Amino acid sequence: MAHDTALVFPGMGPVPFAEAGRFMVANPFARDLVAVADETLGYSLVDAFRTSPGDYSQAAQVAFFVNCLACAYWARDHLGVTPDIVAGPSFGEKAAIAYTGALELPDAIRLTADIARCLEEYFAEEHKDIVTLSFVRAPRDGLDAILAELAEAGEWHEISCHIDDGFHMVSLPEHRVAWMEERLRAIGSLPLYTMRPPMHASAFRPLRDKAEREVVSRYSFADPELPVVADQDGRLLHTGEELRTMLLDGFDHPMNWPSVTTALKEAGARRLCVAGPDSLFGRVPCATRNFDVVAAQPRLAMTPRRRSRAA
Amino acid sequence: MWDDRFEQILRPFLPFLPPQEELTPETDLKDLGLDSLGTVQLLGTLEETYQLRFRDSALTMDTFRTAGVLWDTVQSMLQSTAS
Repeated sequence: MAHDTALVFPGMGPVPFAEAGRFMVANPFARDLVAVADETLGYSLVDAFRTSPGDYSQAAQVAFFVNCLACAYWARDHLGVTPDIVAGPSFGEKAAIAYTGALELPDAIRLTADIARCLEEYFAEEHKDIVTLSFVRAPRDGLDAILAELAEAGEWHEISCHIDDGFHMVSLPEHRVAWMEERLRAIGSLPLYTMRPPMHASAFRPLRDKAEREVVSRYSFADPELPVVADQDGRLLHTGEELRTMLLDGFDHPMNWPSVTTALKEAGARRLCVAGPDSLFGRVPCATRNFDVVAAQPRLAMTPRRRSRAA
Repeated sequence: MWDDRFEQILRPFLPFLPPQEELTPETDLKDLGLDSLGTVQLLGTLEETYQLRFRDSALTMDTFRTAGVLWDTVQSMLQSTAS
């Protein structure tokens, strides 16, 4: 069976309250979801998002999750996006799990909030010096040579994300970032930014165990209503158990976006709707060259649209 | 000041700069909507148009901070290519 339209929930990047707050209170889909979140969490998500410091606070993570789902529902009603297959790279896994009905919305909200708490607790004590550095235009042989140098120097590092040809994210100690950036520039690569908390590395196995023990084990995952593409390797997932494993693998396995776009193409997808605030996944060549990309962003949803009049 | 091609290349990457508004050398490009992916695409377009290859110290986000800094970088590479 061909899966013509793919729905993708993006990984999370920093989204200031100023960019998303109005959408959360004005967009009818977002408002309904925020109301469920308020009831589930026992506090006002919008207020908590506005006042919580940092880009990845618990409230910021739940807000991102809610906004992605709201964009998907808005795209269904206003852009005619009826997906046949779903993917959710990195943080987007959670919205994919909720959208496909593997978890009920309140459970998915609670899970998102509790995983955010786990992350905060874990990285407050462990790997305090590890960050994830992203960069583009790094030829593989040049990158391999740099990583070999790091290994030779006894410095821990791992590729956490493969975004596109020459576009990677590597987790490494913060004191090595300046050195790494200099070496990357020497091979023609452009370093972009560093992120903390880091994610997707085998060294974070204890975080996976903590999240499984304290959060994920509390939920039973139903089989998804649509097939979901695993963001680690592009496998097509059809069962709740497989989605649970994908969610846990997200802690300690690298994310591979080209494997997802390849799988979507092989499944027959021609249109790819990225639902939520995205400045990455829908814009890299492995997406734009292979699909008609529809960016269902909060900003687009807030743009006044001409209504068609009934005759 | 820069040549016409430079501004023609740059403007599509600045969604918050109205077409009729002047682009000044000091304006922060990030404020005009140039994000990380836009920077990467702009870099590729500049290299292709001017037949250049950004390397080493030119490959920082600071190079793309303002139109003036970016043009100075392009110009200095053009000069070193010509000499």
